[in-house]
Amino acid sequence: MPGARSNYLRNLVKLARGDSLLDPLIVTYYVTTNCNLNCIYCEDFGSRLNDPSQIPTFEEVREVLKVIRTGSDHLLLTGGEPLTHPQIDYILPYAKEELGFKQITMLSNGLLLPQHQAVLPHLDRLVISIDSIEAEVWHRLIGTTVKYAQKILDNVVHYAAEQKKYGLQIVVNCVLTPQNLDSAWDVLEFCRAHNLLVGFSPQALHNWPAYELLVSAEFKTLVEKLISAKKAGAPVLGSLAYLETLSDFSTYKCYPTTAPRVMPDGELIYPCRPVEKEKDSFGGSINLKTVQSWDQAISSLEEQFGAPPISCTSCYQQCYIEPSLMQAQPLDYLTELVKFSPSRKGSLATHTPG
Amino acid sequence: MTDPDTNTHEVVIIGAGVAGLSAALHLAERGLKPLILEAEPDFVGGRVAGGEEVEVDGWRFRQEHGIHGIWSPYKNLQAMLARHGIRPRFVPAMEEEWIYRKHGRIKKAAVGTAIRYSPLAAPLHYLNLFVRPRFLRMLSLRDWLSLPLVWGGLMWGVGVDPLAENQPLGELRLSDLVKHWAPAVRAFFVGLARNGFSATPEDVPLSGFIGFLRFYTLMRRDSWAFSYMPMDGGTSLAEPLAEKAAQFGTAIKIGARVTRVAKTTRGWLIDYTQAGSETTSISTRQLIFATDSPNTEKIISNSPDLPTSQDLFWPQGLETAVVRIWYDTIPKKLGEGGIFTGEFTIHNFFWLHIIQDQYRRWHRETGGSAIEVHIYGPPATLQEPDAVLISRATADVQAAFPELRGHRIHQSIQRNPPTHTMFAVGSPEQHLGIETPWEGIFCCGDWVRDTSPAYFLERACITGIFAANQVLESRQIQTWPTLAYPAPERFVGWIEQRMIRGRRKRVK
Repeated sequence: MPGARSNYLRNLVKLARGDSLLDPLIVTYYVTTNCNLNCIYCEDFGSRLNDPSQIPTFEEVREVLKVIRTGSDHLLLTGGEPLTHPQIDYILPYAKEELGFKQITMLSNGLLLPQHQAVLPHLDRLVISIDSIEAEVWHRLIGTTVKYAQKILDNVVHYAAEQKKYGLQIVVNCVLTPQNLDSAWDVLEFCRAHNLLVGFSPQALHNWPAYELLVSAEFKTLVEKLISAKKAGAPVLGSLAYLETLSDFSTYKCYPTTAPRVMPDGELIYPCRPVEKEKDSFGGSINLKTVQSWDQAISSLEEQFGAPPISCTSCYQQCYIEPSLMQAQPLDYLTELVKFSPSRKGSLATHTPG
Repeated sequence: MTDPDTNTHEVVIIGAGVAGLSAALHLAERGLKPLILEAEPDFVGGRVAGGEEVEVDGWRFRQEHGIHGIWSPYKNLQAMLARHGIRPRFVPAMEEEWIYRKHGRIKKAAVGTAIRYSPLAAPLHYLNLFVRPRFLRMLSLRDWLSLPLVWGGLMWGVGVDPLAENQPLGELRLSDLVKHWAPAVRAFFVGLARNGFSATPEDVPLSGFIGFLRFYTLMRRDSWAFSYMPMDGGTSLAEPLAEKAAQFGTAIKIGARVTRVAKTTRGWLIDYTQAGSETTSISTRQLIFATDSPNTEKIISNSPDLPTSQDLFWPQGLETAVVRIWYDTIPKKLGEGGIFTGEFTIHNFFWLHIIQDQYRRWHRETGGSAIEVHIYGPPATLQEPDAVLISRATADVQAAFPELRGHRIHQSIQRNPPTHTMFAVGSPEQHLGIETPWEGIFCCGDWVRDTSPAYFLERACITGIFAANQVLESRQIQTWPTLAYPAPERFVGWIEQRMIRGRRKRVK
């Protein structure tokens, strides 16, 4: 069965041959589009966009995960809010124990964690979004009450203390918006205090960084400060190459098939979500339930839509930047792993806003 | 003539190209109600307007001027479109070919990725071309011997920033820079200039060419990364932009050709004509010229109330022709676009069945291919009848891609009016900038003087924003911030600083 490591090495050979259709380093599965929050920066499945919510049955999820496993051994479960899937407590042990995924990351808003502690032993990483440590500020960004925002913060503090017990690493994902630039540094200090890793990504709007961030000197200053802090040992996840790309929004080589996405019903998006969304002749999808293996699905998509583009300036989605940089700049990646312990503890490929 | 007092507008913008639409959108978002007067009777967008459709075997394809590329340094244009959710999903460029014919022999080399993905930092990134065997085969011994001259020329471009320094570089032309270069390398740079300026090296102003080179390739490797619009410019860009500007309160009057501007006690009186009607006059306190250089010149010279102390400098506008040819088969594998240099009539090409959605659908259904080629002069060539130009273009395409011979199924030609800007830096006294010598009148467009390094679509957009900012500032309304352009890569930036310092010392 292919794994992320072997795929990474095989991709290097493919790149040397000029092939842009790379194998996945991690596959993102949107286990449901259902969500209990309404974050202003969510472009995909914020609850305000979910009509109707997609909640596949356990059988359907099993079928989809089986095919995903033939493509990679690194899985990222997201949503919506994955903990709202009624069978999530069974899905994770199935993926880990029966299908043998080596690394499973889950992206959650953390609100429902106390009700689903059973999933924690099956996770390698848990990514939770915290955009401000002040519930009074944060609740407006995620469309909930101060009480619920505070509850999430409390949950994170609680489970941060139990990371070792469950054998998982909690990663905080902080989406930088024009409203929270002032408080982002506090998020870093919060993570430092609670032994958490933290990744930062700019708010995207229409697949492009929010305009107010693009023209903001404060944003650039903050990213430069984060780079310095990371170099000084702060638990900042996200490679230096990624942070430098953010600081001036420079162009990067994109290899979207290194971080493919699968929708709840099993639709594998090709070559990437922004292209597929246009519903034109450049991208599309195939349902994994109709194929026997990942390779079969990809071959069919390539035949239909051609090889994926590189040097793409179509979007600026962070979930594609980091794995693409890891793959395109192996020396930078190696240096990153050797020099910075956060990058060893939290896979760079999981640094995704979902 | 209507009574001007009953027909007064807050701000009038002449021209609904990218510059005028950008200015209007930024004004309208701040609560003003600009009026745009567009001379073209059918479409907005100027040089990115969509056009009439041609039919090929039941499929319909829209004609257009021929602008396809959205380059990575087009930061403000892309940010504006994204902010309004009208940024199309672009089609990334995969590879660009250089096709060169000398003494009847045709050679091809893939050059685009060698430059943008070079492992060597700028300005050494061009050395990556020399690991491409096909590129090496283009070069003769003379080319190798002239490489130090080429390198010297490029370094000279690194040390001078004609736009930021407001440096017209006198009467220097591109031919002065490349005159001792050997044929192939000369052809390559002259080919680039042809594509950017639609003119021969003897006509291309060196200030414009150096600025062009710096913006698109010399200072950063990734400046050469670009994407194509997925449809014609009108559908992908101009029409959504106009619609957005209208949603915010911009009025757009198409088919309104401005003939004259006159001073009044309260601002400016603008005369325009529409087909089948007499001259209409409207008044405004503030006016933005967002027309191309030749049309702005025409209006200003026809307006005795717009005197200047000196003759004004007008970047030339040039005619071009665009030929599209449909085939019932596809060429052998190659890049989706590129340039033709040497003994060809055509100057560049785009395989539309790779880059545009409608053509891709047609290609999938039929297995055919479609190429668009541009002819950038010389004027004598452009005076040839349509049939001759089509025939020459077809001969060139089929010489480069012989596998297409006998497979042509359709062709079309579009003649573009003399609006393609041959940008040059004029002296500050003569070259109109955003602010003009006339109170309440501003200019924007890709020909306008400004220290911004941007070219073409991005220059149109950013000068449009700057012009809007002038209006907003005068009314004490919050202006718009703009995005800075990426700094030069470290090494080339270091060289640039050393050279600028050296020049300053010598002047002292």
